[in-house]
Amino acid sequence: MNDVIIHKGEKKHLIITHVADDSAQWRIRQEADSVLTVHLFCLEADAGTTGDVLLDIEQIGGHAETYIYGLGILTGKQRIGVRTHVKHSVPDGKSNQLLKFAVRDEAQGAFIGELIVAPHAQHTEAMQTNRNVLLSPTATMHTQPQLEIYADDVKCSHGATTGQIDESALFYMQQRGIAPEEARRLLLAAFFHDVLTTLNEPEVEDRLQRKIADRLG
Amino acid sequence: MLEIRNLHATIAGKEILKGINLHIGAGETHAIMGPNGAGKSTLSAVLAGNPAYTVTEGEVIFRGKNLLRMAPEVRAREGLFLSFQYPVEIPGVSMTNFMRAAVNAKREHEGKPALNAGEFLKLMRAKRALVELDNKLAGRSVNEGFSGGEKKRNEIFQMAMLEPCLSILDETDSGLDIDALRIVAEGVNKLHNETNATIVITHYQRLLDYIVPDYVHILADGQIVRTGGKELALELEQTGYAGLGKSE
Repeated sequence: MNDVIIHKGEKKHLIITHVADDSAQWRIRQEADSVLTVHLFCLEADAGTTGDVLLDIEQIGGHAETYIYGLGILTGKQRIGVRTHVKHSVPDGKSNQLLKFAVRDEAQGAFIGELIVAPHAQHTEAMQTNRNVLLSPTATMHTQPQLEIYADDVKCSHGATTGQIDESALFYMQQRGIAPEEARRLLLAAFFHDVLTTLNEPEVEDRLQRKIADRLG
Repeated sequence: MLEIRNLHATIAGKEILKGINLHIGAGETHAIMGPNGAGKSTLSAVLAGNPAYTVTEGEVIFRGKNLLRMAPEVRAREGLFLSFQYPVEIPGVSMTNFMRAAVNAKREHEGKPALNAGEFLKLMRAKRALVELDNKLAGRSVNEGFSGGEKKRNEIFQMAMLEPCLSILDETDSGLDIDALRIVAEGVNKLHNETNATIVITHYQRLLDYIVPDYVHILADGQIVRTGGKELALELEQTGYAGLGKSE
């Protein structure tokens, strides 16, 4: 377990790319006015068939901000679980989570998103979004958003969906001469696009887009 | 160009096309008209290779090759273009990336080198002008947030980019006001020449005032029941589909 305290007014950017063997286990406490941004990329190929990610984050000082952006491609027999536990213990905090997974073959993915707003954590703004696409009939994704909101003056929202590649879009692209593999690649790049743009670094985005294409090749 | 012989097709076990025969030569424009449910859109979907439909009998020869044995993307690269009745929105895929993939797939098929970024953008600009498609639309995701008229203009723009041998316009006039209809039809007419052919599928005669066909076919209950010149569309306008049974 990695234990971290982000001190008052500090900004921290955490990029997690290695998730196999449960190596990504984080407990982070945020003091007032701190900003935490986490980018989670589950793009390792054979690395570990299994891995559990834990992001246990608590805002213990007011006006803290927490951003979690993640994407993953799970193939073969991989089994990756991501659990976020975001707790707003004090007023005026913000959090936003956006996690997207594409699951293929017989891979299994799981997302558990626990979002807790303590009774006196008024004026909290918290959002959680999880979108998944299954690329083969044997792939599975388990998603479990879990919101516990004990304060009444808050703005909270969450959404979770799991679907397939849009067949009508695929046919439309094929009718224009684009091979189905290329069409799928373009559709998945589009699917992950909003997560990648949160990096604000076009060069890194391009590199990751290539890595995503490789993972699906 | 295209030879359809005794084409039968089903969807979910229900027979929609019941023996279509059609010959289309280079330089020709054919209109296919008919009431709702006659099989007009099914015919275009089957020719394009939509996997929802199953061909149960017959054959289609396109430029000397067996069309039905080709994958949809190969049909497209061979020069078959379908202007969709309902163009699909593809959020997150830019028009530019979409068109570049399409144009270069066709060029590769023809043994030509891929266009570089400069050449490609120049081509986009030239073709956009043809259908008065706004530059801003070309920068957006494919069809996302486009109005009905913009979607149809975007179809003709894509047709201009890909320069197909055979274009099938499936109900291109539906949902268009008269100005958009004129722009779309003028685009189609400018693209027409002696070496390509066009199939116009429509319910109404109106579009045929702008895109004048050499032949008009009436499709009813999965078969072509009458064929004539452009005057057949006018006759139909007066009598309605009810007056044009198989007995005629």
